[in-house]
Amino acid sequence: MDFDRRDFLRIGAAVTAGAAIGPVASAMTQVEKEGSTARRWGMVIDADKCSADCTVCVDACRTENNVPRFDDPKLDIHWIRKIAFRPKGIEGATERTFPAMCFHCEHPPCAHVCPVAATFVRPDGIVQVDKHRCIGCRYCVIACPYKARSFVAKHVEPKEGDNPKVPSRTHGVVEKCTLCAHRIDQGMQPACVEACQKKATGAMVFSDLNNPDTDASALLRTGRARQLRADLGCEPGVYYMGL
Amino acid sequence: MAKIKYTRIEGRSGGYYAFMAGSALVASLLPISALILFLQGHHVTGMTNQVPWGMPIVMAIYLIGVSAGSLVLSSMSTVFGKTEYKPFARVASMLAVVLIVAGLMAIIMDWGRPDRVLVPFFHFQPRSMFSLNAILYNAYMLIGFLYLVALFRENEVWAKRLGLSAVIIAVGVHSGTGAIFGFVYVRELYNSPLLPPSFIAAALSSGTALMIIVLKYTFDATGRKLDVGYIQGLGKLMGIFILVVLYLIFIENVTRSYAPKNYEASSFLLLHGGKFTFYFWVGLIGVGLVGPAAIVLNSATGSSVRWILAAAWLQLAGVLMERYLIVIPAQILPLELLPGMEITSVFLDGQFATYSVSAVEWMYSIGLFGVVAFAYGLAIRLWPMLPEEAVMQEPPA
Repeated sequence: MDFDRRDFLRIGAAVTAGAAIGPVASAMTQVEKEGSTARRWGMVIDADKCSADCTVCVDACRTENNVPRFDDPKLDIHWIRKIAFRPKGIEGATERTFPAMCFHCEHPPCAHVCPVAATFVRPDGIVQVDKHRCIGCRYCVIACPYKARSFVAKHVEPKEGDNPKVPSRTHGVVEKCTLCAHRIDQGMQPACVEACQKKATGAMVFSDLNNPDTDASALLRTGRARQLRADLGCEPGVYYMGL
Repeated sequence: MAKIKYTRIEGRSGGYYAFMAGSALVASLLPISALILFLQGHHVTGMTNQVPWGMPIVMAIYLIGVSAGSLVLSSMSTVFGKTEYKPFARVASMLAVVLIVAGLMAIIMDWGRPDRVLVPFFHFQPRSMFSLNAILYNAYMLIGFLYLVALFRENEVWAKRLGLSAVIIAVGVHSGTGAIFGFVYVRELYNSPLLPPSFIAAALSSGTALMIIVLKYTFDATGRKLDVGYIQGLGKLMGIFILVVLYLIFIENVTRSYAPKNYEASSFLLLHGGKFTFYFWVGLIGVGLVGPAAIVLNSATGSSVRWILAAAWLQLAGVLMERYLIVIPAQILPLELLPGMEITSVFLDGQFATYSVSAVEWMYSIGLFGVVAFAYGLAIRLWPMLPEEAVMQEPPA
């Protein structure tokens, strides 16, 4: 077969174009929905009800998921944290707070950048990390707009009193809020939401956002709830009121 | 054109043994530091949950860039018909293969779980630039190697075909590497369609710089004749590539700075980012780009081998600085969770992060240079990579 430089250019160009089509084509096919079942777990959080000095959601999460403390803010792992906010440039503006965790986006950038698909979207919308597949490249930590991800940079020994229902952790992989999938699968609420409702003001409401008869859906219908950085188009499953 | 005679270097001199022993010693820092990272975890580095990518990523994209640049230079004679550069085709393509291997080592050993090195071969994510790059890097490495074999067999037809394929893949490899950062739409200092072309331009300029340095020192040390015209020609070429890099950096920063929403990001990098601003203006623009470009494009200094060599060193350091400035500052800036609001948290939300290179990362980075130097020294001793002499032919009348 005669094979000249021109043929080679053609083939080369075709291969390059093919490689370029990959991300575009897969992005196009995923435009609709990345989860698939009728359910879409999500939350509505009312910042007006969230008191600044309350951390019951954070504490409940740490206990439920055995999240360790390294006492080093640069290395600490945070599945959920309280964020304090006030308007820029307004002298004496009141500082208010809200809890932020993984928002389980419909179009999660973390899952899109994961080279080994260790981060994936469950059919019910929960974004999960397969710790046994994660290679620890940390591209997802770079790509998440909400700082929801933590890399485990230090070895953690399991300790007495750890919750045996969640997997133990090793260093070298990335982890984040699982929306307490292990609890949801047993018909319970995430630990943070349960704590907020039982021990605090009930600022956090969790339910199936696709079911119009739930509390969260009713709150969404008030038109006062919005997503953080909705402009990015990631479609977070956590909405906020009072921001 | 007269047949070029390639020979191995003798490799019995004290200088050669000293070079090999020295580079082996330096190279040993890499496995030592990688082992520390693997056993201890990344808390021993300057990398944090605010700045998850540090020096290893800087080194990886640097080495991959220099590799792509070397490869394109190697193909000048085989693909682009610049036959006067044929004497260097072998050594340049060998360096390209060595550098891509070193670049991949830099990436993989920085993973939290380098023991899972085979996982990317079994699980793909077509939307991930890392996943696509894994394919591109491996294809590039393989074709670069086959191209080297074709060069050794003096098979001009296949050298041309494989050289051309390698050039096309090299463009893909570097566009892909730029896109790793350029696609990250949430960080203002990453998100740019200019990063892929800018990566290619810096790859070419740094690849040329490396070639100048490697040729000059190797030919001198082994007593081979190297026409001064080659160094001058490569110097000019490097100068032109540097101008392209400067132009792309200029356009990228002007475009970004125009939008008020980017004032904070732009002014951080360009005005009051402390050491980063200093690295940008003095390290990158002054010493790394304008300095060497001025040297090689000025007719007096541009014809002096000493000056060109100095310019090549500056450029090689300048592009390392450029890679650092691409990777790090974008992570220093806080993410805007609530535009228009000041935010704070125990997770350091809303605050500028800090990063400094730790001892382990220095060991890791310097070790990678040792690996490249050792592999190069070994390759020119084992195989006939270098021509006995490189003399420019008179242009036909």
